[in-house]
Amino acid sequence: MDTGLKGKTVLITGATRNHGRASAIAFAEEGANLLLCTRESKEMLDETAQLASGSGGRIVTELCDVTDEAQVQSFVQMGIKEFGQIDVLVNNAAWRARGELLSIDEDLWQKALGVNLHAPFLTCKAVIPHMVEHRWGRIINYSGIAPFKGASGQGTLKMATEGLTRAIAREYGPYNITANCIGPGSIDVSRTAGQASGPADGIVSLDIPVPRQGTVEECSATVVFLASEQASYITGQNYLVNGGAYFH
Amino acid sequence: MNTGLEGKTVLVVESVNNFGRTTAVAFAKEGANLVLASAQSSDALAETAKQVSDQGVRAITGACATGNSSQLNELAQRGVAEFGHIDVLVNNTMVQVAPQSFSDLTFDGWKQKIETELQGNFFICQGILPLLLQNDWGRVINFSGQSAFEGTDAGSSASEFGIIGLTRGIAREYGKNNITANCICPGGAQSFGDSDAQAFPPRDRDPLPRWGKPEEIAYLAVSIAGEGAGYITGQCLVANGGKYLL
Repeated sequence: MDTGLKGKTVLITGATRNHGRASAIAFAEEGANLLLCTRESKEMLDETAQLASGSGGRIVTELCDVTDEAQVQSFVQMGIKEFGQIDVLVNNAAWRARGELLSIDEDLWQKALGVNLHAPFLTCKAVIPHMVEHRWGRIINYSGIAPFKGASGQGTLKMATEGLTRAIAREYGPYNITANCIGPGSIDVSRTAGQASGPADGIVSLDIPVPRQGTVEECSATVVFLASEQASYITGQNYLVNGGAYFH
Repeated sequence: MNTGLEGKTVLVVESVNNFGRTTAVAFAKEGANLVLASAQSSDALAETAKQVSDQGVRAITGACATGNSSQLNELAQRGVAEFGHIDVLVNNTMVQVAPQSFSDLTFDGWKQKIETELQGNFFICQGILPLLLQNDWGRVINFSGQSAFEGTDAGSSASEFGIIGLTRGIAREYGKNNITANCICPGGAQSFGDSDAQAFPPRDRDPLPRWGKPEEIAYLAVSIAGEGAGYITGQCLVANGGKYLL
């Protein structure tokens, strides 16, 4: 399938590992240029760039705190200057608000709110005017399994992201800009120190139709599809990649 | 139908606007006592309290800025001192801002909506939940809305969808404590004193092409709080004349 992504520029936040890294590699295989950022580890970001190189697309990496309005603006402007355009925005950066309602303190809430919800707002604000100008764009945000299985912190923020996605889908459809979510289920990923590994919050059982954890590649395949030319009539949706853990 | 609400205590977070007054009176008719908070004027709040008292139940009132969980917690403690327990949380916290296109919406405007309404809802539920846990019984009724489904504007849509996520989380986490949590999602219902009343006007193609009445929302809240609704949790109860079909 020709996804039509060759020569397009894809911005991926949180591209150091897991979903972000897998998406970077998957888009590179389609011949896309990559604009990658993360907040802390330039080394891991460059490692992703290394893994994604060799498909002919150009790759630019830079540190950016996606919860900071000024940093997001300047990162996006830099990307536009480098590539002339940004066609696809993948809001992959995430911070898990683990735990039940009564255990989530103000600090954790603020951190998770910033990365999971404010960041997609800010990146969309920065990128969309440019997509409008080009009359083409794809925005992919991350929801998850929490909204369906129930988790106060994660579920609140992930569903809010879906709401934001729907609003953007409605407003920018006339400009050939689509906005969708991907909703991964229990995926085998590595975690930051301090964030426990394993299925989120114990809410995901593996007693599901596909009785195993998914891989990040199984998610990035959907991300690439949603960004492709062929997905032009899909907007405002949440595509679940969860082994059938929840039937939408 | 005996809802089993007689003698229970219902905390209504916004007791004037956003269906609050009608809902408070509907609970009073079931014999529940009311703890009434509002960000509106003390006169407006007193009017709600009067209409509640006219039903022969007791009510206490307190000013509470929209989304201010610490003010609400103080009032809730007064409610416990007065009535001995809080059983039902009607959380209809809402920030009234004119919907803006995404292109016009500033980060500050977005944050005002998200950090007052969505975050306010989160910490209000967090503050009141321990009181429900004390009874090993409780009902959390959060208010979302039509914007969640229709994606009308970024702030409302994100906040209202987030509230649904919050509700599902509470449902899962505290079902073992006999606490249910559900969302009421009005769309195109007229709410007393609510500047949002003109949102989602009826359309000819709607299954019910008319405005909803505030009572049609209030009695939904009463029904979901009732003893008979004990097996319903984590759901969106949509009352929108069929504008959006889940």
